[in-house]
Amino acid sequence: MFSGKKKSTATVSSDMMKKQQRYEALVKALHADVYRYALWLIKDKAIAEDVVQETFLRAWKSLDSLKDEAAAKSWLITILRRENARRFERKQFDLVDIDDVSVADPNDINDVALEHRELRNIMSSLNEEYREPLMLQVIMGFTGDEIAKQLGLNKNTVMTRLFRARNQIKDALKANEEMGVTVNG
Amino acid sequence: MDELTFRRTIYADPNTQDADVIEAAKANPAKQAFWNEVKALDNQIFAATQVKVPDNLADKLLLKQSFEERQEGRNQRPWYIAMAASVAVAAVLTFNVMQPISGNALANDVFAHVDEAYMAKEMMMSNGNVDLEQVNSKMATFNGSVNGDLGEVVSANYCYLDKIKSLHLIIRGENGLINMFVMPEDLTESLQETFNSATMFGTSFLLESAKIIIVGEDGEEVKSVKESAQQTLRFSA
Repeated sequence: MFSGKKKSTATVSSDMMKKQQRYEALVKALHADVYRYALWLIKDKAIAEDVVQETFLRAWKSLDSLKDEAAAKSWLITILRRENARRFERKQFDLVDIDDVSVADPNDINDVALEHRELRNIMSSLNEEYREPLMLQVIMGFTGDEIAKQLGLNKNTVMTRLFRARNQIKDALKANEEMGVTVNG
Repeated sequence: MDELTFRRTIYADPNTQDADVIEAAKANPAKQAFWNEVKALDNQIFAATQVKVPDNLADKLLLKQSFEERQEGRNQRPWYIAMAASVAVAAVLTFNVMQPISGNALANDVFAHVDEAYMAKEMMMSNGNVDLEQVNSKMATFNGSVNGDLGEVVSANYCYLDKIKSLHLIIRGENGLINMFVMPEDLTESLQETFNSATMFGTSFLLESAKIIIVGEDGEEVKSVKESAQQTLRFSA
């Protein structure tokens, strides 16, 4: 009657060790990119960090479903975008809590350095439909096809949005220059 | 390739490998110059995306997962452990051995929190250095205060022992690290005055409205931290 589970404790704990090592490698290699992507998407440090924590927690729970380490980036971004969407679903049913009405703090993206300030302001004021594919390309290094898959769009639409995103950045830089705004970095 | 298509392709992906684009640029220096300009802009865009990542984010992600793992471990106890536990309880009742069992949930949680890897993570969260003011602001949760020298506190974090919010201090002793847990006395499960694991000595005692638990590898040092705690810690009900 005692022959229910054959798997010995030793195997279980070595599987656990392997899972732990995979997870640590994932965190070390990708947490910075994933956080930066989250911050550019959400534009609020505290919320971005929360969403990243939720993302990695879910990643840990379903790590066994990640078969190929090469797909880890897209896998994490898929989880993150889902977690971020969940945030809005929750919000719909909540009464408005004054603490939750986040007024984007421009300093969140622009921390101390004056460097890149102008470009950061322009990038964060891009409409989300342009900002998001641009960040997937620039921060995460995704190809047009990968972005299309991630966002559920066709590739032509993605390429058009990427074109427009850079075009808008270029125009805004030019406009600033004409208005005599100092360029920092 | 016409000018517009060329520009659109490069704006959409400055690192494009498109053969037509490469050819067009080779044939026309103005096009190549435009491409270089967009690449330069893209380098700036990339640099601007590289915002500062919060210190210790990676550690936090690892720590959070380790909590989760312990939770999972609890839920996935195999049936034979449960059966063994029932047998043990039955044996205890049958033979009427009324000695409290040292393996209670509180003691287990205490030992889980003094694991070397766990302590290392906690110390990282405190950046390895905590001043008296920080300790006192956390002590205030338990209506307590430190009045005097408790030793070099290297970490002060709240943690949950047996689901009760506690303060975990790590103190650098002469022969290693000593852990001190502060808990509200009225909520806690009883714990023997002294308890041990294979490598650790623990002691627990009441101090006014608080229960203090001290655990370390060196039994003598645990005793001396206990004495200094009794002298320096004050709790009001």
